[in-house]
Amino acid sequence: MRLLPRSLAGRTALLLLLGLVVVQAAGLLIHAEDRLELEQLADARDLGRRVITLYRTLVLQPDAWTSVVHDMDPATEVSVESVPPREELPSAPQAVQQLIRPYLQFGGLPFEKRPRGVMVRGRFEPNAHLLIAMQAPDDRWLVVRTQAPERYPWHSPMFLSAFLLMTLVAAGLSLWAVRRLTAPLRVLAAAAERLGRDVNAPPLPENGPTEVATAAAAFNRMAERIRRFVADRTFLLTAIGHDLRTPITRLKLRAEWMEDEEQRRKMLADLDELEAMVAATLAFGRDVAGSEPVVQMDLAALLRTVLDEAADARPANAERVSYSGPAHLAVEARPVALKRAMANLVGNALAYGGEAHVMLAKPEDGLVSVQVEDAGPGIPPTELERVFEPFRRLETSRNRETGGTGLGLPITRNILRAHGGDVTLANRAEGGVRATVTLPA
Amino acid sequence: MEVSPHILLIDDDREIRDLLARFLEKHGLRVAAARDGREARRAWTAGHYHLVILDLMLPGESGLDLARWLRSVSDVPIVMLTAMGEETDRIIGLELGADDYLSKPFNPRELLARIRAVLRRTSERGRGPAKDTPAAYRFANWTLEPARRRLLDPDRVEVPLTGGEYDLLAAMVERANQVLTRDMLLDLLRGRQAGPFDRAIDVAISRLRRKLERNGRDPQLIKTVRGGGYVLAAPVERE
Repeated sequence: MRLLPRSLAGRTALLLLLGLVVVQAAGLLIHAEDRLELEQLADARDLGRRVITLYRTLVLQPDAWTSVVHDMDPATEVSVESVPPREELPSAPQAVQQLIRPYLQFGGLPFEKRPRGVMVRGRFEPNAHLLIAMQAPDDRWLVVRTQAPERYPWHSPMFLSAFLLMTLVAAGLSLWAVRRLTAPLRVLAAAAERLGRDVNAPPLPENGPTEVATAAAAFNRMAERIRRFVADRTFLLTAIGHDLRTPITRLKLRAEWMEDEEQRRKMLADLDELEAMVAATLAFGRDVAGSEPVVQMDLAALLRTVLDEAADARPANAERVSYSGPAHLAVEARPVALKRAMANLVGNALAYGGEAHVMLAKPEDGLVSVQVEDAGPGIPPTELERVFEPFRRLETSRNRETGGTGLGLPITRNILRAHGGDVTLANRAEGGVRATVTLPA
Repeated sequence: MEVSPHILLIDDDREIRDLLARFLEKHGLRVAAARDGREARRAWTAGHYHLVILDLMLPGESGLDLARWLRSVSDVPIVMLTAMGEETDRIIGLELGADDYLSKPFNPRELLARIRAVLRRTSERGRGPAKDTPAAYRFANWTLEPARRRLLDPDRVEVPLTGGEYDLLAAMVERANQVLTRDMLLDLLRGRQAGPFDRAIDVAISRLRRKLERNGRDPQLIKTVRGGGYVLAAPVERE
């Protein structure tokens, strides 16, 4: 287990909690110190009163002496001696002197009854001896030996439970605040992910705290620049495509005046190929714009139509295509665009893999998936993702008479992503390629 | 002998105009050319035409406006040349009453074939009772929209069809509750759809059933008639 959490929220929360613990511990110590001091003061005052009471009784009411001494607590030992006490106890530290002496006030006594000397020895702590001795005017010594009572700085259930509650509430609040503060980061990450899939993803809301709003605005500006860049590039491509149509039309007309039938046929074939490239380029540009309306359509019928058309175009294909899946499945889609996407996949499977087996799965977790499998040589693993780049063609495709513009798969992916879906390629264990298409159900 | 058909060709590119005019003339058509809306109107009033070839991308007045104007003064057949794959242009064009469309760059021979098919269709139209293509056919809660060449199921879910399937279904819907033999269907579809279609009326019917019928074993809409024919067994409403 790693000690440092991975998420920013976790780290911040951990830091805040550590800080909270330190602050609370310090508070607890200060409180305990304070309480000790208070208890000491109270004990000192109490002790002072008792000593004064004893002294007054000794010098003013000797008759009551026995009963007063009797009432003293057992930890206190009282004696009256004729000589000063000889204990080995050192004189009490300055702090104890200052603590106890103020309570040994004899203001109420006539002057001649006041003690001639006061000594304080030992330490005023639990389990330590303290001695207070006073010399009466008749030279007798009142000696009080005692111990400070045990002190309980933590002895307050109310305080401790309140303390615990406070800590928990503060911890909860900081966890909540941290989650709330880092939420915009998660939103930003999700938006970046969306932008990667679809440049026309909606902009981020530019509200919230200043820093968050600034980051959102910067992100939106960046997205806008990317959009403009893509749009410019697409526009250029489409403009070239549009402009090529007139010369291609002219060339096709001119070919009609060629004497050599063989050359004419070949030239028309070249022009058809050129036209297919222009068409693909235009389709690539248009699908990014995505102007076709979304309607409810039958995906199962669309897949069958694509396969039937492939079979109609080349009767030999009829044996090489198959469909399995439900007879009807309604999805929301742009029919012309989606048909082009699926036709590209089926066309690739037939051209490079010799077969096209289409499987439609029932919706699961809000997604329908379509698989198109072929029986070809497969694709090198490093190329599985790169073939979705525009004009990226495998050597096998360039060398063979399969034609292809290098735009089929990019167009397919553009179309599917614009639908909120995606397409990926994988090599099958049995050989051949499997294209997996997902679409929102 | 029948006079050779007179074509009005409207395209803004001079080279294409000249080359196409020469090409069509070589194949026995008479051609007048115009470069924009103004010239087209002038040529229209000066002559009599059997068919108009109209490029939708014109300088000044748009091809669609010109088509609208042509439709308001005449029911001359129109073949539109559209920008490649511009779905909306094609749909609007067909809704405006274009008889066919071809996207640029087109194959000249394909254009010639389409022109001949349209001329043949419209001359037949002249002989029979005049009928306009409706915006939609409704049968058994299904909807077939000719302009968009699309089929909607009873829940208004679009059901994609191949070109051949659409043509077959349209032919049957136009002649609902009539028994159509394979030969009749082949006849109806020839010219509209070239290709491997004649080979497999039965295949196309079975594909259509798969898309239309909820129970493939017991077809309710497209019924087989003993003796070799099919019938669309449902009342059809035109809109």
